Amino acid sequence: MSSDNIQAGLHVSGLRKTFFPGTVQEKAALNGVDFSLGAGEFGIIIGSNGAGKSTTLNAISGELPLDEGCVVVAGQDMQRRPAHLRSRHMARVFQDPMQGTAASLTIEENLAIAARRGASRGFRKGLKNVERDWFRTALEVLGLGLENRLKDRVALLSGGQRQSLTLVMATLNSPSLLLLDEHTAALDPRAAELVLNATLKAVEGQKITTLMITHNMEQAINHGDRLIMMHAGRVVLNLDHSEKAGLTANDLVARFHDVVSDRMLLNRPWNF
Amino acid sequence: MEFLTTYWNLVPVSLAQGAVYSLVALGVMIPFRLLSLPDLTSEGSFPLGGAVAAAMLASGFGVVPAIAGALLAGALAGCMTALIHLIFKVTSLLSGIIVLTMLFSVNIRVMGKPNTALFNYDTLFTKLLDADGGTPMTQFILVGAMVLTVCGVLYWLLHTELGLGLRAVGSNQIMARAQGLSSTSFVIAGLTLAGGLAALGGATMAQYQSYADVNMGVGVLVIGLAGTILGEAIWGRNTLLRQITAPVIGSICYFQFVALALSLGFRPSDLKLLTGLFVLVALGAPILREKMKSRKRNLRLIGTGNRHKRGPVPEKGRIVR
Ligand SMILES: Nc1ncnc2c1ncn2[C@@H]1O[C@H](COP(=O)(O)OP(=O)(O)O)[C@@H](O)[C@H]1O
Ligand SMILES: [Mg+2]
Repeated sequence: MSSDNIQAGLHVSGLRKTFFPGTVQEKAALNGVDFSLGAGEFGIIIGSNGAGKSTTLNAISGELPLDEGCVVVAGQDMQRRPAHLRSRHMARVFQDPMQGTAASLTIEENLAIAARRGASRGFRKGLKNVERDWFRTALEVLGLGLENRLKDRVALLSGGQRQSLTLVMATLNSPSLLLLDEHTAALDPRAAELVLNATLKAVEGQKITTLMITHNMEQAINHGDRLIMMHAGRVVLNLDHSEKAGLTANDLVARFHDVVSDRMLLNRPWNF
Repeated sequence: MEFLTTYWNLVPVSLAQGAVYSLVALGVMIPFRLLSLPDLTSEGSFPLGGAVAAAMLASGFGVVPAIAGALLAGALAGCMTALIHLIFKVTSLLSGIIVLTMLFSVNIRVMGKPNTALFNYDTLFTKLLDADGGTPMTQFILVGAMVLTVCGVLYWLLHTELGLGLRAVGSNQIMARAQGLSSTSFVIAGLTLAGGLAALGGATMAQYQSYADVNMGVGVLVIGLAGTILGEAIWGRNTLLRQITAPVIGSICYFQFVALALSLGFRPSDLKLLTGLFVLVALGAPILREKMKSRKRNLRLIGTGNRHKRGPVPEKGRIVR
């Protein structure tokens, strides 16, 4: 294996983060998190509420400064790089559908900004006419008719539509890493299914290295190449594709009864 | 109907004044609307622009260097506010107050005294109109052309890659950073631009009235805000073109109301109170309307009006359609 292959993908080691250290509210959110995703690998993180899943993602994206730890994306050390410089290598979709798009800008303006993620920006036209065809094609995949609403402000869209748009923005120019934080959790079931399907299509079609947090065990078991379970700021289970092949939700519950949260049980695809 | 003739005579002057103040209104609109970051610096950068232009004109610089100098000084003031806000994590409002307070001393230093008369010097108006500085109507046309140019430049700028970035930062900083936009750089750029525009307004005002004074900035922010809000109420702000032109249209209309108020017998010193009340009503009305609506909605939802019958609040899975 060349060093290129070892380096590609996502490597996370020794992540530590304590909120409000030295105060009564002190909260150790990450207690040494290590895992890796190979290039093109689709990793899914599950875990109880407060396990540190979002904190891990925020640390990778640079939104949250770490106490300790190392994040390497596509061979690049991300240490001390602010969030906006990391975005050259990674794209995100947030849990809150409002966070991924700029509401007062139009659909096409949002896409034009996403099309230049990581590129240097100048006094050139922010949106070129030729780009519109590209945007339309990218939006058509969703089947929501957004391709005919390029000039509408994003504020006019529903949560599901905004989340779908955020996904298109994130995958528009194949990022080295895609970070998804429970990005279907705030949507109604129909919209959630639509966004999940669009996600799978983009991730599998473009072979993007992806890290997705979900609280839906069915999703975690049926999709993805790697299953990572977190608890109390640590990785407690890390299964690759072959190891998770025969896994059922019941197995997971049996092995990690104390770890599996009620919220995950509510989403169980099985009956006892 | 005597007040109508008084008003009619005031129309040309109020048009010209409205055009001059629309430059400040643009400088107020940028932080408030495009950056979603309330900023009071214009109260200091407006007299700074006036002071720098007056001092430069009085010491023999030409009109163009004087205006350019004022613009630069105002941009620097806006930049200062942004840096204080970002580095010391002070709210943008307080940073603006700190800067405008310091500028009061700076402005006196710049002119060497609290005010400077420009009656004996060439100004924008004596150069381009006539030796007397033109009539109110020609002054209005000149300043109007200047304002239109500024609007055109803003419109172009806000459609460039950087302009789009600025608007994205104003709309959603998390999204902006995730898309590779440095929110701090764009906040600095936006407040710098706003400071420059307010100072351009001050420089134009000083030449328009042939007089610069350290106190010429008092109340200018609320005037700019009133113009912006009024323009948005008349003209809307749901496209970029409307958002840029609203402060201009609003300022010009606002000074018509001022002229009307004066012809109705209000004193000039009453105007700040009236303007403040106007802004208060304009800002408060939508909130009050919303409150009334949601109260009615709650009553309808609950039926009996008993809040406790609504059942438990769902934990996390907030449904958003
Ligand atoms: N900004 C913050 N300030 C203080 N505590 C936080 C913050 N973000 C997360 N935490 C705490 O860190 C722990 C992990 O949170 P998080 O990563 O959001 O969990 P989850 O796995 O549910 O996404 C929780 O106990 C949470 O309360
Ligand atoms: Mg979370």
